Amino acid sequence: MSKSSFARYGGWLMVLILLVLLQPLSDSVNYERLIYGLVRPMPATRLVEKDFTVVPGVIAGAILGGFREIAAAMIWMKSTELWNKGHGTELKYLSMVRTTTLLDPHWLEPWRIAGWHLAYNMYVEADKIPDPELRAKRKAQYMQMGVDCLKEGISWNPDHYDLYFELGWTYFDKVRNYDEASKWLSHTLQFEHPEYIERIIAHAYERKPEMQKALDWYDYCIKRNPADGTAYGATLTIHERYLTAWRLMEEGKYDEAIEEANCYLAVAPNNILPLHLKAHIYEQAGELEKAYKWWSVAGKTALNAHARERAARLARQLGKEVPPEPADIMRQEQMAVPERKF
Amino acid sequence: MLRPIYYVAKATFHEAWRRRFLNGILVFAILMIGSSRVLMYMQPGAELRMLVDIGLGSIRFFGLLIAVFMGARLISDEIEKRTIHTILAKPVSRGQFLIGKFIGGVTTVWSNIAIMGVAFYGLVRLTAPRVAAAAEGESWVYSLDLMYGRVLGSIGLIFLELFVVTALAVTFSTIFSWILATISTFFIYFVGQMSEFIHQLADPERGATPVAAIVLGTIYRILPHFEIFDMREAILDPARPLPWEHPAKVVIQTCTYVVVVILIGYLFFNEREV
Amino acid sequence: MCFRIRRCCAIATAIRTENLAKLYGTDSEGRPVGLVGLTLEVAEGQIFGLLGPNGSGKTTTLKLLLGLIFPTSGSGEIFDLKLGSPEYKRRVGFLPEGPYFYDHLNAVELLRFYATLFGMSGPDLEKHIQELLELVGMWDRRAIRVRDYSRGMLQRVGVAQALLNDPDLVFMDEPTAGLDPSAQIEMRNVILRLRDEGKTVFLCSHLLKDMEPICDTVAILSRGTVRRLAPMSELLSGDSPRYVLTVAGQSEQVQSRLASLATEVRPREGNLEAVYEDQGAALNAANQIGAAGAKILHVGPERRTLEEVFVEVVGGE
Repeated sequence: MSKSSFARYGGWLMVLILLVLLQPLSDSVNYERLIYGLVRPMPATRLVEKDFTVVPGVIAGAILGGFREIAAAMIWMKSTELWNKGHGTELKYLSMVRTTTLLDPHWLEPWRIAGWHLAYNMYVEADKIPDPELRAKRKAQYMQMGVDCLKEGISWNPDHYDLYFELGWTYFDKVRNYDEASKWLSHTLQFEHPEYIERIIAHAYERKPEMQKALDWYDYCIKRNPADGTAYGATLTIHERYLTAWRLMEEGKYDEAIEEANCYLAVAPNNILPLHLKAHIYEQAGELEKAYKWWSVAGKTALNAHARERAARLARQLGKEVPPEPADIMRQEQMAVPERKF
Repeated sequence: MLRPIYYVAKATFHEAWRRRFLNGILVFAILMIGSSRVLMYMQPGAELRMLVDIGLGSIRFFGLLIAVFMGARLISDEIEKRTIHTILAKPVSRGQFLIGKFIGGVTTVWSNIAIMGVAFYGLVRLTAPRVAAAAEGESWVYSLDLMYGRVLGSIGLIFLELFVVTALAVTFSTIFSWILATISTFFIYFVGQMSEFIHQLADPERGATPVAAIVLGTIYRILPHFEIFDMREAILDPARPLPWEHPAKVVIQTCTYVVVVILIGYLFFNEREV
Repeated sequence: MCFRIRRCCAIATAIRTENLAKLYGTDSEGRPVGLVGLTLEVAEGQIFGLLGPNGSGKTTTLKLLLGLIFPTSGSGEIFDLKLGSPEYKRRVGFLPEGPYFYDHLNAVELLRFYATLFGMSGPDLEKHIQELLELVGMWDRRAIRVRDYSRGMLQRVGVAQALLNDPDLVFMDEPTAGLDPSAQIEMRNVILRLRDEGKTVFLCSHLLKDMEPICDTVAILSRGTVRRLAPMSELLSGDSPRYVLTVAGQSEQVQSRLASLATEVRPREGNLEAVYEDQGAALNAANQIGAAGAKILHVGPERRTLEEVFVEVVGGE
């Protein structure tokens, strides 16, 4: 009897010892999982802001356990079916794509599609809203949601090209925030990337405007590939239309610079490039009222977050009332490249 | 010492393979794996992704079913059907019997995964080059060799994961009837999937009360951590190279945990009246 | 091998228990349920019968002796080894009640599996298996799977597996239950043969008629306690000096002549039985009756049947 009870208690003691010995190893594995970005999505750990669409995804993830990937694949197939049937703008479609991203956050395609869908399709869909104020608000929200979605995706997949490009392009083409566009596009350069990335970066600088940096990037493109016609063309255009004004501005000859800028503006009054250039020159000259006026003009020409942003900044400086434009709703907070958390 | 273990394991393996129920699961799994070849075309542009997700998901799912339903019956069935009486009347200790049953169960599960894995790997090798060729020049350029490696690595992770599941099922079957053992194993499996979440809930910095921190912390320390097998994306990822030490640590952690689980099973089985 | 040497010693003990108890609680009247306190000693080389009604604790005793369950208190030894130790199981065979086996195997596969647990293998084993299956009359049916077996076939294979290791001690739980008469006789012969080979057989049964002709020693178990433990002959003859004379036929003439000297005359199975106070009276009567031309079937000490003893011991329970 005593022998068997010794075996019994000795056995449980051994279980305890083994479990205790296991813990440092277990902790080390968990730590490495954090380092290597293997940790699964958790509620609100990586969200850019509070987002209630995560709830079904988190619950589904918990129930599905180890079958997240196959569930993600199934839901993704179902969402594609909805899209093909023309139900792409319904909330159901969006929540399915969102759930897919939560179930399998290392799958890039759903992030990409969700970001594009929000910033482009849903943005256009909001045109149907009759109330202009609400419409503007919704459009800005959808665009912001698209951007946030891509940022969240990048936080899961910081070592992949795709979402950096997607976000950079959304800033460049849709939001037209050229500071953010050039920043995010620059991140793609650390990966193997197509030739057009540098050209888009150059385009972004051109529109900011930062003509010298734009020229440098075009120059880089031409040196890399002498047959790069687009870069040649853009370089010629800058030289022809804007460089004189830019140089005069750099030399402090602001009046002459404005005169130079006006030359081409007369030809193309709605082109944002000369508009931005003119506003920028006034800003450099310290004529903030005029700068504000011309940034405002540029901001009205088309969707142009960049111009509105700068106009709003000047308005604040000048003590003016900042118009409740979408540019204000849009948060242009600086989001650094996601650091891996330890 | 080892001979009885070997022969009990061998008999368990043979018996499992003659179970129509398990053979049925295997056939169904192979059909499901085959269907991933058809289903993938429902997702143009992500065919290979679909193929791999559905195929690996099927292997894992059906492997889990086999591990739980077979493992949970290994000991309890012997007791309920009284076949254990004549065996324990022979010079076989309970430890030898339990380990033999467990090894027989694990080899059954592993051989099932191996069959499914070979079938699926063959399917991938046949299908992937054609799909990739048809999608030449599209933005998602897949490295095929990378994908093959990932498929094999993922199957290896399923081996490890179901190693733990089988151990849990066998241990529960020394304590409970097979129905209760099955339910308990599934329960621990799903809770184990959320162990990281429980860990966070137990974190005082995230607002856990001291009592919750101790209780949940202890539960977390005892629970199996099935999340550690979730590294499929990182296998052979050139952008995020995973040093070999990490999977090696996971293997050691898994084996130690399995020893703990089987030891607990032995301590219960040793006291169990049959 | 050491146990063969030990067998030569007349006093060698196969089983010894000391207040072995396994309690499962109490019944509605507060009496303990299970095995209350078993103290017995079974010498080697005999057939020991543990007899008792259903639920008296026979199977519990067997399971305790084989280490399948654990005693609440008390202790026991088999071949001087503690209960449950795998060591003595090398020398033990076990036929459970209504035996259950892996039903996907056939007779040969089943025996081969059990043999491997003893570490037996090789061509000798195959020959051994054939011998055993021939002994129990299953060799020509060896390819049938256990799941298709009848009750009798299960019992036969059960005996074969119990004898695989040429055991010195064989436990059998209800060995004759559910068998047809010829199979019962075969089983009885197997058991007797085992004793003739010098083995100890420990039987548990409630079928007293089957046990009566084969057991050397009997323990009567009721409500978890041993009520009587004695050699069979002692149990059946009792302490009575009375003799019985059995005469063929039931003619009134013979009956009246028998009655003149006997204390009691009773008809039995178509014959007549007369009981006398002592041997002399019985022989005297036999002489007279024989001379008168009646056919004497038997003269001998009065024997009770096991059933009678059993009812006497257990009483109305």
